[in-house]
Amino acid sequence: MTERYVGRNVYKVDAQDKVMGKAKYPDDIYFDNMLYLKIKRATHPHAHLRRIDISKAVKLPGVVKIITADDIPQVKNFGLIIKDQPVLVGIGQKMRYMGDALAIVIAETKEIASKAVRLIEVEVEELEVISDPLRAMEKDAPLIHKDGNILATHYLEKGDIKKGFAEANVIVENEYRTTFLDQVPLQVEAGVGIYDEESGFIKLWVASQWLHDTQADVAQSLGFPKEKIRIIQPVIGGAFGKKEDISVHIHLALAAIATKRPVKLTYTREESMIAQSKRHPFIIRVKTGATKEGYLTAWQAEVIGDTGAYASSGPAVVHKGMYHCTGPYNVDNVKGVAYTVYTNNTYAGAMRGFGTTQMAFAYESQMDILAHKLGIDPAQFRLQNAYNIGSSTPNGQILTHSVGVKETIKKAAEIAGWKGGLR
Amino acid sequence: MEEFPQGLQNSKDFSGGDSKKCQRTVPCQGYFAPQRIEEALEILSRYGKEIKIIAGGTDLLVQYYDRLYEINNWLDLKNIKELKEVKINKNQMIIGAMVTHTQLESSEDIKTYYPVLSQAAADIGSPQIRNRGTIGGNIVNASPAGDLLSPLMAYDAQFKLQSNQREMIVPAEEFFIGPKKTILQPNQLLTRIILPLPEEKTYGCWIKIGKRKALAIATIILALVVKMAEDNKTVKDVRTCLGSVAPTPIEIKEVRKKMAGKNFNQLDFAELGQIVEDKISPIDDIRGTREYRKDVAKEIMINALEEIDSARRERNY
Amino acid sequence: MSKLTIGFIINGQKKTIETTTSTRLLDLIRDDLHLTGTKEGCGKGECGACTVIMNGELVASCLILATQSDGAVITTIEGIGDNECLDPVQEAFIETGAVQCGFCTPGMILAAKKMLEENPHPDEEEIKRGISGNLCRCTGYQKIIDAIKLAANRLSSKNGGRSEKDD
Repeated sequence: MTERYVGRNVYKVDAQDKVMGKAKYPDDIYFDNMLYLKIKRATHPHAHLRRIDISKAVKLPGVVKIITADDIPQVKNFGLIIKDQPVLVGIGQKMRYMGDALAIVIAETKEIASKAVRLIEVEVEELEVISDPLRAMEKDAPLIHKDGNILATHYLEKGDIKKGFAEANVIVENEYRTTFLDQVPLQVEAGVGIYDEESGFIKLWVASQWLHDTQADVAQSLGFPKEKIRIIQPVIGGAFGKKEDISVHIHLALAAIATKRPVKLTYTREESMIAQSKRHPFIIRVKTGATKEGYLTAWQAEVIGDTGAYASSGPAVVHKGMYHCTGPYNVDNVKGVAYTVYTNNTYAGAMRGFGTTQMAFAYESQMDILAHKLGIDPAQFRLQNAYNIGSSTPNGQILTHSVGVKETIKKAAEIAGWKGGLR
Repeated sequence: MEEFPQGLQNSKDFSGGDSKKCQRTVPCQGYFAPQRIEEALEILSRYGKEIKIIAGGTDLLVQYYDRLYEINNWLDLKNIKELKEVKINKNQMIIGAMVTHTQLESSEDIKTYYPVLSQAAADIGSPQIRNRGTIGGNIVNASPAGDLLSPLMAYDAQFKLQSNQREMIVPAEEFFIGPKKTILQPNQLLTRIILPLPEEKTYGCWIKIGKRKALAIATIILALVVKMAEDNKTVKDVRTCLGSVAPTPIEIKEVRKKMAGKNFNQLDFAELGQIVEDKISPIDDIRGTREYRKDVAKEIMINALEEIDSARRERNY
Repeated sequence: MSKLTIGFIINGQKKTIETTTSTRLLDLIRDDLHLTGTKEGCGKGECGACTVIMNGELVASCLILATQSDGAVITTIEGIGDNECLDPVQEAFIETGAVQCGFCTPGMILAAKKMLEENPHPDEEEIKRGISGNLCRCTGYQKIIDAIKLAANRLSSKNGGRSEKDD
């Protein structure tokens, strides 16, 4: 094996299928007699659903069935870490963001399904919309979920932060904010489902990043044994974190069970933007101390991550972000707190970097500002504080191998033509 | 891949082989693709508001995404050959409404006489969009950010509007009355764009600011056209046209007064930039703030004047 | 919405098919002909995943009505190369690692092929402009540009195509 592959270029196994257009992505799968789904989404970011009238929509020729929460009382919430996301919002329940599903429309064609969605009438009782996590954290803010708007709080402590700041000659304190980002995999959420009455199997062809987690979550939500749920992975048209969460899966399963026919659901790009996960916007408050010789002594960080209407991977993303508050730089005294906060924004989950990318904006800005104040070349300032083998991270992990940050800084400075000096 | 249903590989049936020319004449109910303008006007007079005219479709299909079923009747202009021509008639350039951005971009005549229009067409969308999108569609869509609109105004374009009753010719400036609003009536078709052939010493500059190089809806557009006198120094006339700063493309007429009759060498570019900044009142939107647009308007005006100045100096008469 | 019958040549095959006035060319290609190499990434002409060649021009099939393709000659990715003999552009994409998730690949290959037909020796800027209507989100643009350069070199030299078959 080693002789055949090591040190040689190996072509991607599915590249030939892909260049020929033969690779099958979820939306490329067709069955005879297949039905198409469209989802009626929330009409307000934060409101109680008072009434949903599907009478006009069901009468449209070609509409096979419309499922609302009333039809599926046994179905449970889902979610990657916390099961806080409803499959369908029922009467008296709350819609918490514009992506919440109110009804599943099943029709003979995509066009009929789209028309029918527009014929569904909804009445709501509007609540205060919380789009700012700082508002969500206030005592008098309405609760988005019953246990409070602060979903998770994580703490970090290393060394003695007071001592660290006492040793510092220069202290820099700033607040940084990052924004929502969509992962925008080129293939939107899509899938095909069938229900085999005889065996009781549900088969779902959906691109997923965590097949077994998804299988377990779909099973617990539907009340099916896990072995009756088959998630089949077609080719994925990009994911970048966005396909860790449940999207079309449970809606497909419910529609397949209800109609006993193959069903397909493909989001529009707009729907994908509104309904599916995003990168967390962070508010990062950082206080950093350094000696006049340019060595970091203390680093204090407060991270507020807006996880939107549902938890998704939020607690893990924001928590991990905080652990990376110092970047690849040695600091003996670190203190941090991270809040994962519910709002009525589109829920945030995993995206490339998982919380660390947001932090980089804050810590690299701090490093530049400090270097400027200290009158030290910013590349040199980074080099003299950067991790080595043996460095310990804010959460106390000792780095034992593969620490290339100094080499990277040197190489980057060289390629950028960095001549040293101040900016 | 055994889990995939049968029949998915049937795409083989349509693969390979040589392309032969396939010609069919078009039906039919709900969709009309006449070959002559007169037929199109006849259909238009019959259906009026109940029919949608489609040229390239690059704006229309975006606008009606997921609800194309709302349109009951289509009038497709694709078969009207005379609307696809670019030709010079005496001292005028006549451009058919169905001329695509790719055609505009690659036409030698357009490049020679109307470089600002040529560059604007080259900056639109992407190859896919330029191959389908048309000058007529861009005009009739009347987006405040429409790329060709400012250049057309800067070259004193006129539009020929036809119905089966009568035809009229209107200056570009009078055609646009608001965002996506024009004077075009439901029974009228924009058939041709008429541009006077520019005088010899005419210079132009095109600046488009957007978030990307491709597929960008303009944050701000400047089309500046300057006519010089025989001496190649004295400004005879000027058109300063901007897009994405008002409900319609606009001309800053104050610049005309300020520049006409002056020696180009003695112009104060910063002052002219300031006039542009002062005379526009853009709005905040997703592509840029009012403040940003005003700042940038000034800078691009200065840049455009500098560019024209160096082009003028390079030309030896 | 009305039903009507249209005819065109797709990948060299003459087809007559019933469609509606609210069907896009993209839907016709995918849902009716099951030529699923043509993808929908945005439906708004921004991403280029739905790119096909119609009447010799690179177009976004999501912005064309099916009825507008009546009488047209269309090539989709399925009409490029075959199992026995891939097109040099397809081969170059495989060899340079220009294929990642693959969702942009069919459109990207058609854009590259069309560009090389019109301009057999593009420089890097011309290549970028040629594929400017096609988004890749795995951000493999550099490899894609490398692939197009490789294909251009091979197409312009006499013994084009890969000498060794990938297996």
